[in-house]
This record gives sequence, structure tokens and C-alpha cells, in this order.
Amino acid sequence: MSLVTSDARKPVRGPELMRLLLTNEFGLLLLIVVFGALFYSVSSGFLSSFNLNSMSRAAAINVMIGFSMMAVIATGGLSLAVGAIGVCSAMVCGWLLQEIGLPWPYALVAAIATGAALGAINGMIEVKTRLHSFIVTLATMSLFFGIMIFLTQAQTYRGIPASFVSFGRMKVMGLSATLGPTLVVAVALIVLYNFTRVGKEMLAAGAKPQAAMLSGVRVGRMIVLAHAISGGLAAIAALLLVARNGAAIPSMAGQQGQDWLLIAFLGPVLGGAVLTGGKISVVGAFLGAVLVTVLSNGLLLMQIGDFWLQATLGATLLLAVLLDLARRKFLERRAQ
Amino acid sequence: MARLISQSDWATPMIVAVSLGVLISLFNPAFLSTFNIQVLLEAVSINVLIALSQMVIIAIGQMNLSVGALGGLAAVIFAGLMEVFGLPPIVAGALALGVGLAGGFLNGLLIGLTGISAFVITLATLSIFKGLNLAITQAQPFYEIPDAVKHFGNATLFGPFPIIFVPAALIVVLLVVFFNRLPVGRWLLAVGGNAHSAELSGISTAKTVVIAHAISGFLAACAGVLLVARLQLGQPTIGDDWLIMSFAAPIIGGAILAGGHVSTVATVFGVLIVAQITQALVLFHIDPFFVQVVLGLMILAAVSVNQWRELRMQRAGQE
Repeated sequence: MSLVTSDARKPVRGPELMRLLLTNEFGLLLLIVVFGALFYSVSSGFLSSFNLNSMSRAAAINVMIGFSMMAVIATGGLSLAVGAIGVCSAMVCGWLLQEIGLPWPYALVAAIATGAALGAINGMIEVKTRLHSFIVTLATMSLFFGIMIFLTQAQTYRGIPASFVSFGRMKVMGLSATLGPTLVVAVALIVLYNFTRVGKEMLAAGAKPQAAMLSGVRVGRMIVLAHAISGGLAAIAALLLVARNGAAIPSMAGQQGQDWLLIAFLGPVLGGAVLTGGKISVVGAFLGAVLVTVLSNGLLLMQIGDFWLQATLGATLLLAVLLDLARRKFLERRAQ
Repeated sequence: MARLISQSDWATPMIVAVSLGVLISLFNPAFLSTFNIQVLLEAVSINVLIALSQMVIIAIGQMNLSVGALGGLAAVIFAGLMEVFGLPPIVAGALALGVGLAGGFLNGLLIGLTGISAFVITLATLSIFKGLNLAITQAQPFYEIPDAVKHFGNATLFGPFPIIFVPAALIVVLLVVFFNRLPVGRWLLAVGGNAHSAELSGISTAKTVVIAHAISGFLAACAGVLLVARLQLGQPTIGDDWLIMSFAAPIIGGAILAGGHVSTVATVFGVLIVAQITQALVLFHIDPFFVQVVLGLMILAAVSVNQWRELRMQRAGQE
């Protein structure tokens, strides 16, 4: 989805370079550069080392949240519970570190496993009951979050080891080290969806479940797997947030984790994912989330006020889907 | 008579609601105290509007994530107009309801004209409405609510019946008439049941979608305005926790999420069931955090039952 009128699904005639320039991903990159330059010209603080660090740290988390939703969108579902799963996993991590005193690498693995397990529960309920993922995750969102609040009594875990917190503050070449895990996950997802059988089967299950089933794809299993991946990625996003804040806070994603919802959809949708399933772009979702981060950061620097930001991001999502619609209409008309 | 009960949509939720009430009052007679019934009816009066706001959209087979954000926006506009501009409550209330209507109209227009999924559109407008709310209030509540409004929100008419029960009951009656007697109401159900065949029989889908969302926005705004009167406070957080509630009651009342089948009366009993359980958790000193867990479980249980019933009806239809 971008201002550039092109469609990756339709072959574009012309030389290779032209084809590259007309892709959705290039459009996003262009927008990032244009907005970056715009913000830099208004406030030189935009590219200061302090701001670059905080922006890259926010981007690392936003991209991961977007990936978490993208994994479910791939199979044609959606998950309202990404925020709740993320927070639950982070609280498990905080509890293991502070109350049990587990070394942090184990706690991280346990937290990610928790996220994957909670995601798998969503997937299994969806497959068993044949209900839409919206209603399943609406219910489990309040279930997971409610149980977590009940168990933790809404307290914050601050006993996070210094080594873990210092990772959240570490800089590599001026950018936050938290981008590292995000990049690793991005590469892993590219490999998964483009080069492995499982990844392709997941996309097939999303595109045409009936046809996929007939050609031997176990659609139910793919849906459970997609939700499990989504849960694991939500956990990683929440852990990056824990490293940044130095604490596991139950309210870190708002009421029932709903604050993550907009950002979770913005990245993949800007990146060109089709919500009915079967088509996603890892690079697109990455760039989409980066664009959103640049926009938020720049608008805050311009002091438009914290509160207008949310309205602006909502309008961005609206604009993005409307532009995408216009683009597809335009291509249809040209094809006729 | 028995036939009537077994065939009506609302009989099952009614029986559940009544037996629940009897059960709770057996364990704790305080449940039937005048004060408790008043609190229950106050909660029901507002929650029923929230639930109906979502039910109207479920009727056309869509969902509206922005119910809470729009209700919250109407609430702070109502309170803000009275505090900052000193408008009389009637004028401020009318303007706030107008904002709700306009917001819903915008949702409907965007969905009806573009055909983009209601989920994405209302997710976007949710953030826009909530952002406007925070920009207006700067996250600070409006405290200066006129005494007349406070009285309206907290006084009782007679016995345990709160005044705010009247507008809620009126809206319920209007919606029953709307869905059962008016052609427009039937359009909504027809579009929800099968948009394509509705279109073929001459119903404008886009127009119907716009009408449904406008009603939804208006009802959300009603809930927001009444909540300001009851809380005596224009809080920017109003609406933040409406999402689950708005789906729980229609689903427990038996609404089929694919659209085309909703019952206003059953939804009212759905709200009553949820309110009674919430109240019981308080009476029995159970952690209030647990309410969320129970709501989640109830949604899952109710959809499973509805699904099963639908499958059975399909099978019965085939035989």
C-alpha cells in the first residue's frame, strides 16, 4: 500500500529497475525518506543521536507487534489478543526473574513459550469451534488479561537484572540494540514464508482454505501454528518493552492490551497484507511499522501534542486503506 | 403457551436471567434489597444502550470497534459544552447525541461506499474518536456538571426505578418496533442475512449500512451522555471498557454473528444476565478483576451454544 500505483500481484511491464521502483516496499521507503527529510528540516533534533536511538527502539517494538498480527493475517484471521498475550508473557518473565530468581535467558525462553502457548489456545479454540477468530480472541483477550491481573494483583515486577535492562539501553552504530532481535525475526519470517513448505502452506490455508485442504494442507494445524507464532512474537515485543522500561508493568499495553491493536494492524496493512489472508509482505510490514514510528516521533517533535497523535495514526490507517482501494480500482480499470 | 416460549428468541435468556436472580437471592437475600435493585437497574439502563449499539451492527453482519470511543467522545462533549460554554443540559445533550449520530454516519459512509471491512474502518475511526476525546480533555475530567443533570442520573422515579431507566426502556421499545414493524428494520436483517439477495430484491446495501451505523453511533452517544449524568463527571476514560460488554450481551442473548438474526428483547436479557453476575461477584466479595474472566468465558460458552443450535437447526432443515 503506497502512493505509488503498482500492484505486486500483476506483472509490470518494463525494465527490472522500473519494476523495483513501482513496488509497494519502495513506495514505503520513499515515504519514510520524505517524511524524515521533512521532520529534519523542521527540527534538526530529529536526527540527533538521542532521537535516533529512541526512535529505533520504538521501531523495534512496533515492527514486532506488527509481525505478531501479520502471522495471523496470513491465514485470514485476526487477533485482538496480541496485546493481552504480550503483557501476560512479560508478566511471566517478570515473575520468574523477581520471585523465582531464574537466570534471565531461561525467563525469556519461558515467556516466549507462554506467548506461543496462549496463541496456540486461540488457534485451537478457533479450529475446534469453527468460530471467527475475532470473537474467539475477543473472549480470550479478557480471559488472559483477567487471569493475569488476578494472579499478579496488578503489581509491577521491578526486579529485572541489570544485564537485561542494559541490553535495552545499548547502542550499536547509533541505533538501539533492540533492533537486533527484530531484524533476526524479520529474516526468519522471510525464510519461513518464502522458502519453507510450512510457510507456504500457511499462506495457502489463508488464501483458499478449501483448495488448500483438497491439496493436502492440514488447514486446522496451520491456523493453530499461525496463532502460536503470533503469540510468540507478541511475547518478544513485550520483552523488548520490558527491557526498555526496566520493569514488567501490567498496564504497559493499556486496558486489556488494546493499545497495541492499532499499531499491530498499521504495519501489515501499510505493508500490503490482504486481510482475507494468503498475501503478506514481511519487508512491507517492517517498513510500514518504521513509517508509523517515524510519523509518530516526528509529530511529537513538532509538538502537535501527545493527544493528537492517536487521531493522526487512525487517520493514517484510514488514508492507507482508501489509497489502496483507489489503487486497485485504477489497476482494474486499466486492465479492462 | 409452551410453544410460544420454546419458539421465541428471548425465552431462553429470560429463563436464565430469572433463575440466576432467584439463585443469587437464595444465597444472599441482600441481592433483592431496594438499593441493590436500584444499582442493578442503573447499570442495566446504560449497558443496554451499549449492547444495542453493537447489536444493530451485528444485525447487518458487521462489527463496530468504535462504540466505546464514540460514546466516550459524546460523553466529554456533553460535559465540556456545559462546563466550558455553559450551555443548558438539553442543548449540550442534543449536540452530543448529534456528534454520535454524525460519527456513526461517517463509519457507515466509509464502509458502505468503499466496501472495506468494518473491522478496519472502525479500528481507524476508534483511534480518531479517542484521539479527539483526549485532545479536547487533555486527559482531564470535566467536573462542573449541573445539579439538574446529576439529579437526572442518580434519582429514582419510584421505588428502585432510576430515572435513567426511562430513556433506556423507551429506546428498547423503539428498537423492537424498528426491527419488527418498520421496513427499514427488515432491510437491516435482510442485508445481514444475505447482502447479495437483499441487493437483488431492491434494497440498497450501502444505504442500509449507513443507517445501521448512524443508529449505532446515536445509541453509543446516548449511553455516554447517561453515564456522565450517573457518574456526575465527564471522564475521558468513558467507553474504554465497553468493547467486551457490547459483544457479550447480544451474543448471550443469542445473536448470530454472521448477521441477519438479532433480538432486542433477548439482548436486554443478555445485559441483565451480565449485570446480575457482575453484581453477584461484588456481593460475594470475589475479586472484581475476575469479572473480565467471567465475561470472556461467558462469551465463549454463549457462542458455542449458538453455533451448536444453528447446526442443529440446519440439520433439522435438511431432513
